[in-house]
Amino acid sequence: MKYLVLAGAALVTLAAALLLGPANLPLSDLPGSAIVWQLRLPRAVLAFLVGGALGVAGTSLQALVRNPLADPFLLGLSGGAGLGAVAAIALHLPGPWALPLAAFVGAVGAMALVYRLGLVGGAELDPRILLLGGVAVGALAGAITTAIVSLAEATELRNAFLWLWGGFSGASWTTVLVMLAYAPLPLGVLIAAARPLDLLALGEEPAQYLGADVRRLKRVVYLAASLLTAAAVAVAGVIGFVGLVVPHVCRLLWGRLHRTLLPTAFLTGGVLLAAADTLARTVVAPRELPVGIVTALLGVPVFAFLLRRWTVN
Amino acid sequence: MRRWTVRAHLAGLVALAAAACARGERAPAAAGVVVTDDAGRRVTLAAPARRVVSLLPSFTEILFAIGAGERLVGRTAWCDYPPAALAVPSVGDGMPPNVEAVAARRPDLVVLYRSGPNVTAAEQLERLGVQTVLFDLNRLEELGLVARRLGVLTGRTGAGDSLARAMDSLASQPPIPGPRSLVFIVWDNPPIVIGAGSFLDRLAGLAGARNVFHDIATPSAQVSIETIAARNPDFIAVLSDTAATPRYADRPEWRVVPAVRQRRFLFLPGGLFGRPGPRAGEAVRQLRRRLERSP
Repeated sequence: MKYLVLAGAALVTLAAALLLGPANLPLSDLPGSAIVWQLRLPRAVLAFLVGGALGVAGTSLQALVRNPLADPFLLGLSGGAGLGAVAAIALHLPGPWALPLAAFVGAVGAMALVYRLGLVGGAELDPRILLLGGVAVGALAGAITTAIVSLAEATELRNAFLWLWGGFSGASWTTVLVMLAYAPLPLGVLIAAARPLDLLALGEEPAQYLGADVRRLKRVVYLAASLLTAAAVAVAGVIGFVGLVVPHVCRLLWGRLHRTLLPTAFLTGGVLLAAADTLARTVVAPRELPVGIVTALLGVPVFAFLLRRWTVN
Repeated sequence: MRRWTVRAHLAGLVALAAAACARGERAPAAAGVVVTDDAGRRVTLAAPARRVVSLLPSFTEILFAIGAGERLVGRTAWCDYPPAALAVPSVGDGMPPNVEAVAARRPDLVVLYRSGPNVTAAEQLERLGVQTVLFDLNRLEELGLVARRLGVLTGRTGAGDSLARAMDSLASQPPIPGPRSLVFIVWDNPPIVIGAGSFLDRLAGLAGARNVFHDIATPSAQVSIETIAARNPDFIAVLSDTAATPRYADRPEWRVVPAVRQRRFLFLPGGLFGRPGPRAGEAVRQLRRRLERSP
């Protein structure tokens, strides 16, 4: 039932994304228009994929660190991506894909550093160490980024920050293909880890007694969720809020079992972000809103309503 | 016919400005000078400033244009025009100003663009006993006001007034309707374009080109590629000192915009187009010429 509802919502969102836009195309022109095929459709699909990826990554990381405040960018990834993007601009790296690639490398670099910190002294990805390590690495990356911005002679560096705030202006079939080729593996790994993640919610020791290989589980989930987030950063910048709120919304609506939680988080994240992007493109046309603003404006009231229902029960 | 009149008019303006600059002027008797700056402060100097630090390339150009160039003892790293400006010691990039480096030039007046960090820097300089003046300079309309007051502050009142008249006259001209349209793309992801409340929009209008985002009232705004494609400008104007095609031109989503696909880029040198200054008339003529030459 819930999948039917979500699939229906996804179809409605996609249709709206194709029909609506600042260009005001007449209905009869839609099927043959480059604006629809080359701009609106890839953009909607990319927003859906990124929203889904962030939803799943957020759900997994919240389960991994057992902290409801965890979000896919918490563990230093946004700082690393920002450093990569700014370095790409400061070094004048050529080519149309330099910026997203550098952001990806930066995000993965930060992730590797946090991962390494999480293993120091046999800490075995202790959630507390991961969170602290993520904050520390994020701060370090932020400091280096600011140093580059203040020392480099490029006024366009300011614009790297605009890119970092996230959005789907760069969507094309190429970026969609990149996500389609890349995302299934980490998504599959995380969905396959659904049952052990349920056990982990009981605590690490009980999970171990109940047959989960906790050590391996944590490493795999951490790497898969982070690589998924890094890909999202590379194609869309840092879009906040989706990865934080979607897991909670799904948990409140459909329970805590990850076998349901992960697929519903994917669909809900996708619908939310594709709808938010359509609004971002259209509500203030000819201007455009940063999509992160829309996700927050849409998500917070829903979230508040659900929290209220939850606490009343 | 219409085009010719405008050209003649522009040529006249430039001649007027040049004449104003060339006319040798005696500094007035060492009486106090007073102006009100754009932070609403009354700036009173006992005598016209003799050691000036300019913290904006536009101010540096104006000071040279009104014959106060030799009073400059400090400039920013960005101040590259006129060439004589390069002989003035640099005090850094000015973003934000290095207060110590500015004070070390022992100026009797520091001219700053009114922005948050600069207001703070001005307060620090005042505490060190250095007088400061804060000006707005974002639009063509503001050039005259700044030129006039810089003339007063440096004892070049006549030259300042002449330049101000030339700039005011340029600013008061109505835009010329022309067949060509363009978009100023400042950044590609997210796409940021120039709107109506800007220096560049006015330059385009005076050069006979329609800015397709003239309906956006703010100086710049984020838009979608779709909107740019739908408005279908004849040219993509890019502030760039090289004629290197921007890297986004090869990205598939940008190729939906016909002017990007056909590589109809206008590369406008940042020093001339990126700052409101005394060469605004020159910028208008250059843009007009580029539009006429492009097929």
